[in-house]
Amino acid sequence: MSLDWITEFLNELWDFTVQSLTDNVPLIVGSVKAIVIAVAVMSVVPALVWLERRLMGRFQVRLGPNRVGPFGFGQPMADTIKLLFKESIIQSSADKFLFHLAPAVVVFTAIVSFAVIPFGAPFEVFGQTIELWGANVNSGILFVFAISGMGIYGMVLAGLSSNNKYSLMGGLRSSAQMISYELTLGLSALSVIILTGSLSLVDMVTAQETIPFILIQPLAFLLFFIAGVAETNRAPFDLPEAEQELVAGFHTEYTGMKFAMFFMGEYINMVTMSALVTLLFLGGWNTYGIPVWPIVAFAAKVVFLLCVFIWLRSTFPRIRYDRLMTFGWKVLLPLCLLNLLITGTIKVL
Amino acid sequence: MFDLATVFEFTRDTVIFTVGITAVLASLGVILCSSPIYCALYLISHMICLALLFLLYNAEFLAAVQIIVYAGAVMILFLFIIALLGGKKEIQENSLERSIAFTFILTLAGELYLSATVGPTQQIEGEISPELFGTAKAIGLELYSKHLIAFELASALLLVAAVGVICLAKFSFAPLKRR
Repeated sequence: MSLDWITEFLNELWDFTVQSLTDNVPLIVGSVKAIVIAVAVMSVVPALVWLERRLMGRFQVRLGPNRVGPFGFGQPMADTIKLLFKESIIQSSADKFLFHLAPAVVVFTAIVSFAVIPFGAPFEVFGQTIELWGANVNSGILFVFAISGMGIYGMVLAGLSSNNKYSLMGGLRSSAQMISYELTLGLSALSVIILTGSLSLVDMVTAQETIPFILIQPLAFLLFFIAGVAETNRAPFDLPEAEQELVAGFHTEYTGMKFAMFFMGEYINMVTMSALVTLLFLGGWNTYGIPVWPIVAFAAKVVFLLCVFIWLRSTFPRIRYDRLMTFGWKVLLPLCLLNLLITGTIKVL
Repeated sequence: MFDLATVFEFTRDTVIFTVGITAVLASLGVILCSSPIYCALYLISHMICLALLFLLYNAEFLAAVQIIVYAGAVMILFLFIIALLGGKKEIQENSLERSIAFTFILTLAGELYLSATVGPTQQIEGEISPELFGTAKAIGLELYSKHLIAFELASALLLVAAVGVICLAKFSFAPLKRR
């Protein structure tokens, strides 16, 4: 008797599972995409560290890491394992909760802001249209700005909670720098938004099917890229962690994996920024007649921009802090407004 | 046995309820916490909860703007000031201000009770098409056609305030010498 009850229950559960699986295909596809994107973005980081060290070596006429594995491929692996097993030291004067929260905020915002980045045209598998983006938010670019803006909190909180003057200086610098350059970033993206008439990143790519916006908006591209380098705290704008003045800036007191999380956040932000520049100005996954898969075209553009990031780092000296602020507010911002004015006037006419 | 629609409705209601409660708790934290850094953090979490509520009611644009403007820019300035001045804990003591603050809170609670008894909130009447609802386009159309004068006046007011603050703060000192 009791066995019947169990089989009936199991049957019902099975039916429910099948029913809910068929009903929730979009949900399942979404979850799989979320996991794939998160894992891919995180595993890009060691590869990027390797690329940076190799390229920097070449730029500085030396070999770079080449002992561990072929072409030094094993080096990032070894570094990751080392960082994972390092002892985590927290000084007793630190605010424990905020000290732990800060690196988590940096990595979380970096990964989440990648969720709305589309990286290829949609295609069909098993009668399901698979779209190559985590989520098609109809104001995607605003979402990226909002979430990456939240990433500053990680740096500011790290500076505040460490109870160390170098960290505090780093945190202060990063907040001031981010606010100044976010303005330029938003305003130069606005000229692209005016041209497309949409806030969705997918619409922006489809609007560039014939000609990439870098040819129509070269000034906006330049401004966006400069502001993007400043937003990701990369050299020559890496004032928040200037080694010569601030030891290591906001992450002076961090050790082991928590230090590595700041590192990860920076590199993921670099990838997101390159993807954003590709989508806004380089035509996204449009191939312009070159016979490659759209996703390969997109990846090639992103990798090229990442190399430019590294190239900039090994070419330019760090600029002075007051010049950074003057440059941001007195050069970039007026140029942005001028570009916006001209774009808007032409669009209306 | 299981009904998917009700399950979904239930989850949605639970999420809305949780976010709302978190928002209220965070705002309580802002006034009850004694450390300025944590106060600012409570305020940030309150604003994020508000943005989530906007998002749950399909107002994507408002949610993004809420996070960019308030959580992304205004609160960063708050934290910047706290870091500059040094966030030390305040010692709480009973004073006239404290009692006035409690009176204020009680008055607010009374108002909340009143507004709760008056009745449920009502939807704003208007001719917004459902596919435009919550998008930047709908807000832009509304703002730049019907409320253009009020919008321009508000922006002029903000500009005047910003210029005024700079005048008050900056020009009482001699300008910095360029190195």
